[in-house]
Amino acid sequence: MSALPRVFIVATALLATLTAAAAEPLRIPVLVPITGFLALEGTSQRNGAELALRGSGVDFDVNDTATSPEIAVNAFERALTSGRARDDVIAVVAPMLGTQMLALIPLADEFNVPMVTVSGTARITELGSANVFRFFPGDVVVKAAHARYAVEELGVKRPAVIFQTTAYGQSGRAELDRNLTALGRPAVFAEGLDVSVKDMLPVLSKVRESGADALLLHLHSGPTALVVRQARAMGLDIPIIAGSAMHQPETAALLAPSELAGVCAESGASPISESDPATRAFADAYRTAFDREPDAFALGQYDGVQMLLAAVRAGAKSAADIRAYLASRRYRGLAMTYASDGKGNMAHSAVILCYSGDSRVPVIVKRYENLTGIL
Amino acid sequence: MNPSTLTRHRWPLVAGAGALVIYALFFASSYDQRILTLSGIYVIMVLGYQFIFGHAGALSLAQGAFFGVGAYVTGILASKFGTGFVLTFPLSVAGASMLALIVAVPVLRLASHYFALATLALSQLLLLIAVNWEAVTGGANGLPGVPPISIGDWQATRGLPLLLFVWGLAVVAMLIARWQLRPARVAAFTVMRDTPLAVPAFGIDPGLLRLRAFLLSAAFGGAAGALFVHTNRVVSPETLGFGVMITCLTMTVVGGRFGILGAVIGALLLTHLPEWFRGLDEYYLVAVGVLLLAMVVFAPDGLASFFKFSGSTHTPISTPAQPGSTEYAPPVASGRPVLEASNMSRRYGGVQALDGVDLALGAGEIVGLIGPNGAGKTTLANIITGIARADTGNIRSAGLDLARATPTAIARHGVARTFQTPQLPDGLTVREAVETAAANAGDTANVRGAATAAEAIATCDLSDIADTRCGTLPHGLRRRVEIARALAGGPHLLVLDEPAAGLAPEEQAEIAQILRTLAGSGLAILVIDHNLEFLQPLATRLACLDAGRLIADGPRDDVLANDAVQAAYFGLVMPTSTSGVSA
Repeated sequence: MSALPRVFIVATALLATLTAAAAEPLRIPVLVPITGFLALEGTSQRNGAELALRGSGVDFDVNDTATSPEIAVNAFERALTSGRARDDVIAVVAPMLGTQMLALIPLADEFNVPMVTVSGTARITELGSANVFRFFPGDVVVKAAHARYAVEELGVKRPAVIFQTTAYGQSGRAELDRNLTALGRPAVFAEGLDVSVKDMLPVLSKVRESGADALLLHLHSGPTALVVRQARAMGLDIPIIAGSAMHQPETAALLAPSELAGVCAESGASPISESDPATRAFADAYRTAFDREPDAFALGQYDGVQMLLAAVRAGAKSAADIRAYLASRRYRGLAMTYASDGKGNMAHSAVILCYSGDSRVPVIVKRYENLTGIL
Repeated sequence: MNPSTLTRHRWPLVAGAGALVIYALFFASSYDQRILTLSGIYVIMVLGYQFIFGHAGALSLAQGAFFGVGAYVTGILASKFGTGFVLTFPLSVAGASMLALIVAVPVLRLASHYFALATLALSQLLLLIAVNWEAVTGGANGLPGVPPISIGDWQATRGLPLLLFVWGLAVVAMLIARWQLRPARVAAFTVMRDTPLAVPAFGIDPGLLRLRAFLLSAAFGGAAGALFVHTNRVVSPETLGFGVMITCLTMTVVGGRFGILGAVIGALLLTHLPEWFRGLDEYYLVAVGVLLLAMVVFAPDGLASFFKFSGSTHTPISTPAQPGSTEYAPPVASGRPVLEASNMSRRYGGVQALDGVDLALGAGEIVGLIGPNGAGKTTLANIITGIARADTGNIRSAGLDLARATPTAIARHGVARTFQTPQLPDGLTVREAVETAAANAGDTANVRGAATAAEAIATCDLSDIADTRCGTLPHGLRRRVEIARALAGGPHLLVLDEPAAGLAPEEQAEIAQILRTLAGSGLAILVIDHNLEFLQPLATRLACLDAGRLIADGPRDDVLANDAVQAAYFGLVMPTSTSGVSA
């Protein structure tokens, strides 16, 4: 065989390979905690991402990260290095658990892949990584709204704080403390609870003894419902302003409407409370697809993935293109308008919602727009 | 087992290991290499856990805590101070070991479930500290920014370098485990698990053995924790969580509680299994759980037991030693008693088990101790051998104050005993059991190690069954093995608690002949028994206890003719009341 045909064969094979590679659809692995104590929130995160990705032309596969950094890193490496080429991966939907994000950041930086998450842990955007994009208002935002609503709208003078002894809880407590102190109303009582605590009577008795005139919660879903129920059962009738877990329909479902009277919560959004057609359409599609009510985590993740898809529609073909798009563009989502503050914090607004006592659907009573001044 | 059988049994293992190495080196993706790296880390942790859970037989729930301490020592030093692996790794091992040493004093004394609860409490305490001491530990978030392992200019980067480094350390851990678990120590652990009551009688110090196992488990746990942090690049409270402990326990149970193979199989399988089923989303835990349950049901001794070789690895005795060549000469001046007990009293609540008992035994003497049930015979045997303490009185043997010495020290000094129910480790062969007693005999002058053990086996006419497991022996042979075990410590005083109980007449005669031979070589023997047909022709002297008091002590016929003995022991009416000791 002469040299020419050989070159032709090799060139044809190479071209065929490249064509095949180019034909591979882009991919966004979804790494979320769908088992363990964050299963409820993690499932919302998965559903939000999945709803956005269905029919988008972008491939996705869901990997459970449970609740340990080890499993999150396993999931990340599996998604990026096992099987298909990692060049197809343009971004990763990353878990909302702060410790998992902290473990994933060095990997994301090494692989140069942007991560889109709804984690509220403040620390994840403070490590200087260019690959973290948070589509849920961080503690800096929601805790400012939390404290301001209690002090400025309800006139609370002696707030008590109960927080979870998890990354989520400790991060939120620190911001809550900072904001309450700045508002001249430092907490008269604060105590951390392990997620396994079921009897809230001891801590609620201490709240009562402290003379607090409002109870601010920063707990996960189950503990939030337990505190609200046991507070009402013991006759502790001070206002309760809970963390974002309270806005979740699954949390409200754990309580009778009467127990919810006088209970408010901060959140990035409350899709079941909104009346604008686009958000209602999202909520309807969500209910149809997953047979459950959407929450702010689902909506935040949906918006985040929609911004990724907007980047693809705008011509982004690689992780670098996506990262540049996320870092520089403003995106009008269903929950709010998103833009990076330079550290990957994309969400800068929050809402306060309250329950009337005759329904499990809360009403948005206050919107705090652009709390960081980025927009 | 001949070499060809050995090869036949081992070839699947060798082939499997070879295939795994080829896969890891040439075909594994970065993700696959990570899972194998984690497996190597867990191999180290499980090898450590085998010491305390497998060999020492104690359900420790602190292995996760030691793992976490190792993780936090490395995490804090590396992320906050930039300390290098060369320093953080040994400090992690030392930190976990120090913690084990501190908690060992109160915790290791506890038995079974109390020990488990105490070690669980330790884990929970450390978890609380990690979560709440935010300034140092980073709280629930933990500490990010742990660098990769680097030694000098070399860095164990993610993927193959880290995999090879971790498995290199795993091999080092295997070698340390193998060195620590030499046959004599494994046998001592077996004795401790199978016959806790008789551990001191083997000359084994159970406290020291348990402490060694606990420290080794901690050191291995700390090492694994340190490597884990470098692999995940973050240290968080999950490293101290109960999940790590459950993972370790499951790996050990599924793989096997003993041996390197068990640790490797358990770690490899349990690290990979959840990953294989991860695609089932919420249902993968169910799938993993069902599979694990099946493994535990079908391989209760661990999957490694499928590769276990039957029979003992000991070489059979080619030339059995001759019986009776050992002289059991007591280290006391001629004419002095081997045992001197005076005014011994012991009360259990409202029962006066012993009341002012005096007893002496000379070298080569066989004294029969008789008395009705509850007379205090076993209490006296327990006091002589240190298992029980007297409330009052003095008791000495060949210069040692038995009232102050530990049971192990007493056994090592040359005071041996057997038990009412033979206490033999089922998992050891006769030879291993006897050799274990010889190996742990310590300062006993008469012991010459394996030679003494071989002589003891020959003296008790057990050479033919020396390689039979104790657990398979009939009762009569178990009695003789117990005597051989007692002789292996080179004693000068032998206390036998009902050695003829449950034996046929011919078996009793065999034992009596063995005891006569031993007494002839200078051994002082105290035989507790109800069976006068056995004792009468054997004992040169009889002593009788009744309600804790010594009511007779003297020549055999005189004691049996004693009215008080007749009344107490045979239930005959006593013509006149007797007080004090008579013969």
